[in-house]
Amino acid sequence: MIGQIAIHLLFGIAVTTTVLYALSLSSSAESSSRAVVARWLFRLLTAGLVGCAGTLITLILTHQFQYTYVWNYSSTELPTHLLIACFYSGQEGSFLLWTLFVAIIGVVLQPYAKRHGYEAPVMVFYGLILSFLTLLLVAKNPFSFYYETFAAKGITAIPEEIPLNGKGLNPLLHNAWITIHPPILFMGFASMSVSFAFAMAGLVRKEYHRWIDVALPWTLFATGVLGFGIMLGGFWAYETLGWGGFWGWDPVENSSLIPWLVVVALVHTMLVQKRTKGLVKTNMILALLGFVMVLYSTFLTRSGVLGDTSVHSFVDPGRFAFWILLLFMLTFVVIGVVLVLKRRVDMNIKREEFDVSTREFMLSIGSSLIMASAIFVTIGTSWPVIMEILGLPKVAVATDFYNKVHQVLVPFILLVNGFSLFMHWRSTQRQLVLQKLWRAALVAAIGTMILALFGISNLWPLALGFAAWFSLAVNIQVGSGLLKAGPAMMGAYVSHLGIALLMFGVITTAMYSETYHAVLVHGKPVSVGGYTLTYLGSEQVEKEFVDREKYRYFIRIENGDTRRTVAPVLYWSDYNQRQSPFLEPGIRWGMMNDLYISPKNLGREDVFHETIIQKNNTAVVPIDSSLRLQLNGFTMPLEEGPSDDGRMQMSAVLRVSDSSGNITDLKARTKITNGPNGPAFDPEWAVIPGTTTAVGLISIDRDNKDPSRSKGTFAFYDTTKPKPYARQEFTVEFSVKPLMSLVWIGVIAMVTGFGFSIARSLRMLKKQAAVRSTQLAPMPDVES
Amino acid sequence: MTRSTKKVIIGGITIAVLAYIGFSALGSSSIEYTSIQKAEQLGKTVQIVGTWVKDGGSKYDAQANIFRFSLRDENGKVVPVELNGAKPNNFEIAVSVVAKGRMENGVFKASMVLTKCPSKYEGQPADQHQGTSSS
Repeated sequence: MIGQIAIHLLFGIAVTTTVLYALSLSSSAESSSRAVVARWLFRLLTAGLVGCAGTLITLILTHQFQYTYVWNYSSTELPTHLLIACFYSGQEGSFLLWTLFVAIIGVVLQPYAKRHGYEAPVMVFYGLILSFLTLLLVAKNPFSFYYETFAAKGITAIPEEIPLNGKGLNPLLHNAWITIHPPILFMGFASMSVSFAFAMAGLVRKEYHRWIDVALPWTLFATGVLGFGIMLGGFWAYETLGWGGFWGWDPVENSSLIPWLVVVALVHTMLVQKRTKGLVKTNMILALLGFVMVLYSTFLTRSGVLGDTSVHSFVDPGRFAFWILLLFMLTFVVIGVVLVLKRRVDMNIKREEFDVSTREFMLSIGSSLIMASAIFVTIGTSWPVIMEILGLPKVAVATDFYNKVHQVLVPFILLVNGFSLFMHWRSTQRQLVLQKLWRAALVAAIGTMILALFGISNLWPLALGFAAWFSLAVNIQVGSGLLKAGPAMMGAYVSHLGIALLMFGVITTAMYSETYHAVLVHGKPVSVGGYTLTYLGSEQVEKEFVDREKYRYFIRIENGDTRRTVAPVLYWSDYNQRQSPFLEPGIRWGMMNDLYISPKNLGREDVFHETIIQKNNTAVVPIDSSLRLQLNGFTMPLEEGPSDDGRMQMSAVLRVSDSSGNITDLKARTKITNGPNGPAFDPEWAVIPGTTTAVGLISIDRDNKDPSRSKGTFAFYDTTKPKPYARQEFTVEFSVKPLMSLVWIGVIAMVTGFGFSIARSLRMLKKQAAVRSTQLAPMPDVES
Repeated sequence: MTRSTKKVIIGGITIAVLAYIGFSALGSSSIEYTSIQKAEQLGKTVQIVGTWVKDGGSKYDAQANIFRFSLRDENGKVVPVELNGAKPNNFEIAVSVVAKGRMENGVFKASMVLTKCPSKYEGQPADQHQGTSSS
């Protein structure tokens, strides 16, 4: 009860904080008593959210299944790190986590904004965001009681009706990544609110330039953290979920990519405005759009509108939450658009034309291309919804749509990146650019020829290769010239180098990967694509858990003299009543190559030439084509009586005809044991008279509606040979992925670069503040 | 021609080219959700939402890497499906499946089958939950 009251109270506090900050807008903000109260209320709000989160995590860790959320997403078997992940496994908890992160960032943001004289206008918008988030929590309250949720089903508050265990967490999610990836992603989303709040504050204050300097470190932070979070998701998909790749253009992946692309474009246009005072409106609009796209993505993936189009499962959040999400999004769109329109004329004052051969021009072009990518991804992801709204037949967009548009866009983005680094701000001597350009172009041409020599002949992959080499060469050339200036200057170059490397990884894994289908019989080496695979057997792991049966399947991979063993995992879990196994790939990581084995199927070798015959039908005996077998029916267990060991018995009544027309009648009897996975059959082998062929009935498939359509499965072997033994048969997909490591190295370099850039922008901000406090004219930005 | 009109023209052309690329890619990559009957008429790649016909069983042919089962669409029509690949995850407990592919000689040749699991968020209390997955 306390939890639910607390959530309502927090909503009230958030609204009050917003109103107080709004009222203190007109007065000199810092000293007004309203601002002081608002400041404390904001801290109280954050403390309350920390309390709520602490309560929820305690409830999960102590298995308080009287709470619907705890019951729905956790269970007693889970280890601590997974119990922590249960916190945000459902909508209620993930909204709480998002809200909590927004509030915690706000506690750091408030004194920062105050220092830069922006407290009231920034915190008004920030408070409004938190008001909506806490309202969402009111609608999706994680503290509902089990008996409340199911009151309509006749569940009452008595202790006997509290479930003894929770439903648990999807076994696919049982690994450390779920403890790491979602919080980082939510931190990225949460930090996107800050640039937005600063932009709106700038509009309110009619200060169209200063917010850029103040908001830049936060924007860089959001970009780096969100980028890192997205990469971790890709790594998770590759390493555990066995999707084979690191990116699948799934709606959920796209919905985190879209805001990231917008904020990447924003970082670049903010840099342009910092240096040239141009792109004032563009920055306002992009800051608004970045935040709105976070909301739109949340709406797309949380409102259930995408339905069948994703491998992620979507949950209908209920009408109330759906409308709050929609209202949340529309409110901020309207606020942003109205403010921008109101200040439109005002912002035009310093309108400026960029010369083509300048860095600001190139950065603007680059940002436009990145925005084009964001628009394409948004359209592709929203297409099913758009078609539905237009009343047209429902469609899905195949993932090759994204590949088609990006294979054109990305080469241009990389080329523009290279050009922008050669250009200077304001104006550039063409002579100078051409001099440097030729070297990078030469490197790119040679690099592209190497790619072609290794077998790429398609135009666009080669164009991407050329552009990636070009960008790589330019970044190394220009970046290394700045080595002496220290790592803080290197941010942009390290990040862009990372993107070029990532693109090489994309090219090599997309163009040079080889994939083979292999059926591996236990102990029998199989050659595929220059490698020899041998399935060596399995070992049960995690035996201490009773809710699952988990095995590692060892596969030896030989290539020349090198031998490696990988172990994909299959497991059966109570989560789906052990009906089908969960799969995890086995990976041999390497700098040059990843060897990737995804398990596909586990079966038995068909050494008995199994044949299915329907009642009253005839089949040729597989190991002796002169014999034909007709299934006349089955005897009932009552006719057969029990076997010596007390098992139930049934027989197939068969008629055999040979090539010369001789007909023999025959009964194939089998012993039946009923087990949890249906009946098991143990055939008594019957030798067909006058031949060396033995037949056994190994399963009966009864058709209860129409007994004449029942089927029997028969096995055969030659009695002159030893009776064969059916070995385990492990079917896998084996791929060799060259230079996969570049993908991860590239993204890590990119994120590291953001770290350097944040440090640099903070330092410059401090310098400017120092200058301002000594009442000197603002110092121009320093760049060597 | 002034510099700014030149820029407007170049910008306009770029936007037009990008829009063309986007919409032609969208056109060629859009896959309609449809019924079995419609899929037969169209003969092109479509997606069908339906359920697995359990009586018809399912079988994976490891050598050929083909998974076979029968699909009943929302109109009640049944079609044999040949998926190029292994049995999809959670196939048995799926409440519905989405098959992407095309009709060829009365068989739906699928390149992808997505399974929709019974939502564990459906709002069933604990004792009734056991029953939901088998229904």
